[in-house]
This record gives sequence, C-alpha cells and structure tokens, in this order.
Amino acid sequence: MAASGDGGADMEVEAFRRLYPARFYQRYLDAAVRPDARLLNRARSTSISLGPVPTADGSALVKVGNTTMLAGVKLEVMTPSSEGPDLGQVVVEFHMPPICSPQSRPGRPAEAACTITEQLTNALKSSELVDLHELSIAPGKAAWMAYLDIYCLDADGSLLDAALLASVSALAHLQIPSVAMTEEGTVIPALPETGISNHLSNDKHLQQPTVSEQRRLKLGAIPWSLTCALYKKHVLADPTAEEETVLHTILTVIIDSSGRLVAFYKPGGSIPATTNIIQECISLAKRRSKELQRSLDEAITQYESET
Amino acid sequence: MARRARATQSYSISGRRAGDFSTKDAIQPLLSPDGFRLDGRRPHICRPAYLRTGAVTAAAGSAYAEFGDTKVIVSIYGPRESKKAEAFSDIGRLNCSVKFTTFATHIRGQLSQGIEDKECSSMLYKALVGAVALHTFPKTTVDVFALVLQSGGGDLPVVISCASLALADAGIVMYDLVCAMSASSVGRQLLLDSTYEEEKGEDGGLMIAHMTSRNEVTQLTVTGQWSSTRLSEALEVCLDACVKLGEVMRTCLKEAALGVPQ
Repeated sequence: MAASGDGGADMEVEAFRRLYPARFYQRYLDAAVRPDARLLNRARSTSISLGPVPTADGSALVKVGNTTMLAGVKLEVMTPSSEGPDLGQVVVEFHMPPICSPQSRPGRPAEAACTITEQLTNALKSSELVDLHELSIAPGKAAWMAYLDIYCLDADGSLLDAALLASVSALAHLQIPSVAMTEEGTVIPALPETGISNHLSNDKHLQQPTVSEQRRLKLGAIPWSLTCALYKKHVLADPTAEEETVLHTILTVIIDSSGRLVAFYKPGGSIPATTNIIQECISLAKRRSKELQRSLDEAITQYESET
Repeated sequence: MARRARATQSYSISGRRAGDFSTKDAIQPLLSPDGFRLDGRRPHICRPAYLRTGAVTAAAGSAYAEFGDTKVIVSIYGPRESKKAEAFSDIGRLNCSVKFTTFATHIRGQLSQGIEDKECSSMLYKALVGAVALHTFPKTTVDVFALVLQSGGGDLPVVISCASLALADAGIVMYDLVCAMSASSVGRQLLLDSTYEEEKGEDGGLMIAHMTSRNEVTQLTVTGQWSSTRLSEALEVCLDACVKLGEVMRTCLKEAALGVPQ
C-alpha cells in the first residue's frame, strides 16, 4: 500500500500513517474496512479471566483488543447510615496509572479517569446491578462497603466499555465471606464449624452464631457498553486509541441485559448524530451485549470448573 | 573510566548484634522442623518466577514479572521531552515512579495511600541509574513507571528486575541488566527471596541489586540484626541467585527478539 498520488509515492506506509492520519484513515474507511482488518461494525476480540488477584475479594482481568483492565473489589465493614439502615454501599474508582499510556503522567488523576469513574458509578447505579440490601450484614448495625477499583493497564481506546466489563466481571466473581457478630456489635470472620474452637477456649466470640453465610453476590440486570466512532455516514464500533484521536466524534451506548437503555453519551464532536445513527449504535450495542454476555458466562463456567 | 563510582550504594545497618538470635528461636513458625518454608520451599530456593516482555502495547517497552504472589508491571516511555520545569541537562534523565493498587495488600490501600510508593520510587531510581547509559539520550527523559498489582513480599527487588527488563525491551542503552534479590535472616536460618510473612517475621533483611555480567553492585540495603558471617553468607547466596535470575532474564529477552511464543 503506497501512498501514490498524494505527493508521497515513495513514502512508507508507517510514515504516511503518522504524518497524515486523517487521509490514511479516509482511504481505509471509504473501502469499509479498518487498518486492523476489522469490518466497521465489529468489536475487537474480548477475553475475561476471573480471580487474578487473590488479595481482593473479587477480581477480574479484561482485555478488549489491547485495552486491558484489572478490577478488584475489597469488602470492609461499615455502620450503615440512618437513611438506609439495611443498605450496603459500592464505591467505584477508575485509575489510569502512568503505566497505561504516554499521556497519563504521575500526579493528580487525569480528567478522563474522573469522567469514567462518574460514568461507571452512574451505570452501576441506574442499572441496579447490585441490590444494596444484599450487602447488609445486620440492619442498623453493620453492612458491607464494597470498594471497586479499576486499573487501566493498557489504554488502547474504548476505555469505558472495558472498564464497565471489568467492573461487572469483578462483581460477578465477588465472594461475600461468612461473618459472625459479637455482643458488642463487632463483626468478626466466622470460623468453620470444626473442632478449632476447642483450642481457643478463652475466646467467647466463637460461640456467636454466623450472621451471614459465604455467598456469591446476586447480580441484577447487567449493564453492557459499546463505544462507537462516527466518520461521515459510517459508524465504527469499538474504536482503538488511534481511531478515537483521528475521528473526533465518539458516542457511547450503555444498555442492560433486558435491552433497556441505561446511558447514552455523545460528548460533542464535529459530526452531529442523526436519529438513524443513534438507532444504528443502539442495535450494535444490543448485538455486542449478547457477545459480552456469552464471554462472561464462559469465564464464569471456566472459573467454576477450575475451583 | 570507573563506572563503579556511579553506582549508588545505600547502607542502613541498624543494631547489628552478632549472635543475638535467641529470642525468635522459641517460636519458629516460618520453617518446619524438617526444613521447609510455609510455601514448601527450601531456605535457599527462589520463588517460581515468570517474566515476559511487551505487556503494555502503548509503551516504548514493558515487562511483567511474577515471583510467587508478587505481580508487577513496568512500562517505559521515552526518551521524550523533559518537563518544562526541569533545568537543562546535557545527559539524559531517568524518572522512576512506583505505584501499588489498592487491592495489592490484604488491608485495602495499605501501600497505595502512604509514603511507601515514594520510597520505592527513589530506591528504584538509585538501583537503575548506575546501569543506564544516560549520555545516550541527552536533554531528554526516560520514564520508568511501575505498578504493583499484588504485593506478596520482596516487591522492590521484583520491581527493579522487571524495570531493567522493560528498559532493555524499550531499547534503552544500559551497561548491563540489573538483577535484584532479597533475603531474610530468621533465627538461625537464612531465607532467600522472602515472602510477605517471612519479611514480617525477620530479624534482618537484605536487598541487593547486581549487574551480573560486570559483577558490580548498584544497590545494597541491609536492615535489622545480622552477624558478619551470616551477612557474608547472605551476600553470597543472593549474588548467586542474581546470576541465575540474570540468565532467565536474558533468555526472556532473546526469546522475545526471536519471536518465540512465550
């Protein structure tokens, strides 16, 4: 592929790509194909692995093409607020450590990271993925605070999609430990009901009944996200970082597993989205949600067969 | 020119009292009576290690290292323009930053919210700067960013080895690879490549960063109680382990260069 007729017949493809990215992309997209050989409406191959970090109560590693996300959930006991005595809490934070891209430097969190934290929090809240009653230990006394931290290890576009998938997968992997409660109202880990308690005769806490058993967190309707880039009349699903910078208009659709629209973002951009384009993006997101559901189900089956 | 002079050495020896190990002898849960450690290793055996280059595609060079439960990613950016605030320098700069994930430790945010990452960053810088040919990238900066995904003990030596592998992957000119190893003195025993539990229960700790082909030490940290004989034994065992680690790192780079699937 030489750049003939563009005043650079002898120019190497890589040089042309760097110097004239817009023209480079135009040539591909006019032929309805992308530089990584994908069709316009196809997302990159996706893999999910559950439980990569044993120090977390739930964790998942997600790869969408080169974009890599590591999500971990840590549980801590808190006193529930008086407005919701039987409710736990989920706190989401998205991190872009400096390892993930040349743009992110050490210091204050990047603007992009804060935006994604907000979008993830909204998506998890409005889809009602986690029933906060599930995180209650003893109403009015104790509840679980779930800290969900998502780390971007490699940033290659469509970060929100991968971050949301990693969050959902980590919550699907989350094991809530079984706990007991002392008379003073302190939550302690419940010991297995074997002869261990005989060794620790002075510990009266051990007589306390288990308040909640070890269990998986039950999930509600799962939110799935698809980011699209717009170019002329074309819609590109799941853009890479390069595509995101060249094609300025980005659009993100989040729908839940029953097909309801959870969120829709179109932060500016040079191309206005027509109703047709919006509908096309939503139908692409629906198709993508089925693919992602299948990947997650496979990951769960694989994880269960290993343990 | 003596390059050894560039190598940074930091010593911190506190309270070295030879032969005073009796206190911990009564309880020695870190080593079973027949000489096995909690994870089933013999005292002078390293944890199973896995190294791979090219973990982060967005970076100029990167590496992933896993030593037992310690998992680390390092990516290298640059040489690129130095920050505007930096003064002019006719040799290159090395900028190191180490971060921990909030779920790296059993207690959330134990290492990610304190000063540990700053100390780690400065130790990483001191271990590497003697090995990098700074004059080959004048006026610019090479950024070395590390993220500890899971902290299972001996984090700093793993970060140092992983960073030198990532620098090689990025094609930054170095005098030699830097291989780092730690050891703990527990009671009468010397435990090589110690885990988190062993570091907590140790009487003395040692960390050494070594350029194996040149046989030069870039960093040596000794803390706690050591007898001089124990210390020289520890140095010998660690240096030997570094040489073996260096071979593994070179194999990893060669395989990556030849395109062998890792």
